Amino acid sequence: MRLLNIAAFFFAVASAFLLYSLNYETRRLEAHIQAQERAAQKAKSDIAVLKAERSHLSRPARIDPIARSQGLAPPRADQLVAPDVAAAIGKQNPVALRRIAESQ
Amino acid sequence: MQRVRSPAAPIRPNDWQRRRAPYVNGTLIAGAMLAFATVGAQVLNLGLTPRPQMSLAISEPVATSFSRPDIIDRNGRLLATDLEAPSLFADPAIVIDRDEVVEKLLTVLPDLNAADLRSALSDKTRRFVWVRRGLSPAVAQRIHDLGLPGLAFRKELRRAYPAGALAGHVLGAVNVDNKGTAGIEKYIDDAIGVDAVNSATLSTQAPVRLSLDVGVQHALEDELDTAVRRYSSEGAAGLILDIKSGEVIASASLPRIDPARAGTTSDATNADKIAGGTYELGSVFKTLTVAMALDEGIAKPSTVFDIREPLVAGRHTIQDFHSAGRPLTVTEIFTHSSNVGAGMLALQAGPDRTRAFLKKLGLLDPMKTEAGAVSPPQLPPRWERAELITVSYGHGIAVAPLQFAAATASILNGGVSVTPTLLKYQPGTNAKARRLVTRETSAALASMMRLNVIDAIGTGKRAEVAGFRVGGKTGTAELPDNGRYNKSAVLSSFVGAFPMDDPHYLTFILLFEPKGSEETNGQRTASTNAAPVTARVISRIAGQLGVAPTSIVAKIGRASCRERVSLNV
Repeated sequence: MRLLNIAAFFFAVASAFLLYSLNYETRRLEAHIQAQERAAQKAKSDIAVLKAERSHLSRPARIDPIARSQGLAPPRADQLVAPDVAAAIGKQNPVALRRIAESQ
Repeated sequence: MQRVRSPAAPIRPNDWQRRRAPYVNGTLIAGAMLAFATVGAQVLNLGLTPRPQMSLAISEPVATSFSRPDIIDRNGRLLATDLEAPSLFADPAIVIDRDEVVEKLLTVLPDLNAADLRSALSDKTRRFVWVRRGLSPAVAQRIHDLGLPGLAFRKELRRAYPAGALAGHVLGAVNVDNKGTAGIEKYIDDAIGVDAVNSATLSTQAPVRLSLDVGVQHALEDELDTAVRRYSSEGAAGLILDIKSGEVIASASLPRIDPARAGTTSDATNADKIAGGTYELGSVFKTLTVAMALDEGIAKPSTVFDIREPLVAGRHTIQDFHSAGRPLTVTEIFTHSSNVGAGMLALQAGPDRTRAFLKKLGLLDPMKTEAGAVSPPQLPPRWERAELITVSYGHGIAVAPLQFAAATASILNGGVSVTPTLLKYQPGTNAKARRLVTRETSAALASMMRLNVIDAIGTGKRAEVAGFRVGGKTGTAELPDNGRYNKSAVLSSFVGAFPMDDPHYLTFILLFEPKGSEETNGQRTASTNAAPVTARVISRIAGQLGVAPTSIVAKIGRASCRERVSLNV
């Protein structure tokens, strides 16, 4: 009987300890989750800002004058070539280019 | 001597203790049981009865705003997005010196209404007063640095338009709560849905993909800017339409509006000229008259009409400004832009067939796009001889340019109805398309428009772009002014299409009150201004739209080009 009492006492103390540690662990995890969520929210917001900035910087109204100041212009019809020519240029194949030039 | 210890007498409670013990025990047990029972009952009670959500006990009103999906163009480039921005509010109960608060705030926000803020701050029973919503981070920092008690910030969502005023008329606007009030933004509220939020929570919805192409839109707006300067015009508008799918690739109206500054939307001069205004478009309307004549079997392209005599309708006499002085074929009526010829075609068709044809093309009924209702057409009150003649060359009937463009598109695309859309085309959504004119009519009109550009005397010859087979029709309409036509103020327009061997894109350029210049020999007709603007626009956008130049079409064939374009090779 005495043994049982002692065991019950220790069990009660142990379970109380367990309960409190669980409680604190849960709170710690909750705080952690909240911190993570805040970080995710912040990251999302930062991504939105960066995307907006990228679009703002690449807006045609800005790129157009920059490109023209570099001597670039919209392509003319005679600057567009058939896909096989493009492929040959892509492969830097002078033989194929010459053959196409001859065929035209 | 050993003292034997007598066994200890048991300690016995005295009498009064002995008598009391049972009562004490009983009372303690009963008390403990009662306590446990109370706790148990309360636990049961809490567990079983549903509790209402915790209510906010603070006096601050919860500000609701809306989180919106992004808007992107057809290629995924961002046109509108939500960003977090600080909003400034005051708590009058904590504000110590309201005059100091107002004065110091005015140094950072000079356009603040001081009287309003002062009266709001003097009401100490209020705990929440918006001072300014949607501040930039830099301004928020400067206000923060003032160190005024009673002021605080709250993060809210604000709509940002990274491309600035680009396509401002199409995008529309949102109000201070981030709710759409015009254009595509309103469509998003009505048809796609926005999420009501109490904090700066970004939307998780998929972005809304428009039919617009940012690159083409910019090229169009840029060329219209140049045109307004070059021809000293009061305004300009332009439209690029994919006539096969009905997608609006670009839609511009100058002067622009900035979607981020919604207040400018209501100004009449800034109204959208493409969908928000109706105009007597003039000779571009002959495209429809000739199409009707061919489709109704009234004439063939080679049928000859004697256009030398002016047409008389009541007290009006209709004649050509530059009469050819000889009978003209239907094709020549088109390329010479003969008012008399167009009038004769309409008279032959008669009022019923003319009305039925225009109705079939959707020009007599109101039209809608995702950005809202298009200005309804203004039709003649009667359809008698005079009206019939004037309508045949685009007077006495006023329609929105978008509606006219849709009608022309359905004539050029092989004869199938076109419903303009601002959303990217999804295959299969064009199921409502129905045949309006025959393939032969469509092909005949396409070749007439092409001829009008390549012919030496064609009115549209300045619209030619080497390699891209442009076709089109000019229109120079006098603008009505107090019920009379003002000869010095014209609406000059050019409806074009390319590539004409298989029309895919329609362009419609309108210049409002262009002036004659040295470049145009003092002329203000569409052939000297709207046509060359069209050429400049097409030369910039044809490559972007993947239209193959003539040299490549000749080499690998049209079918192969089309296939490659559709595969985006």
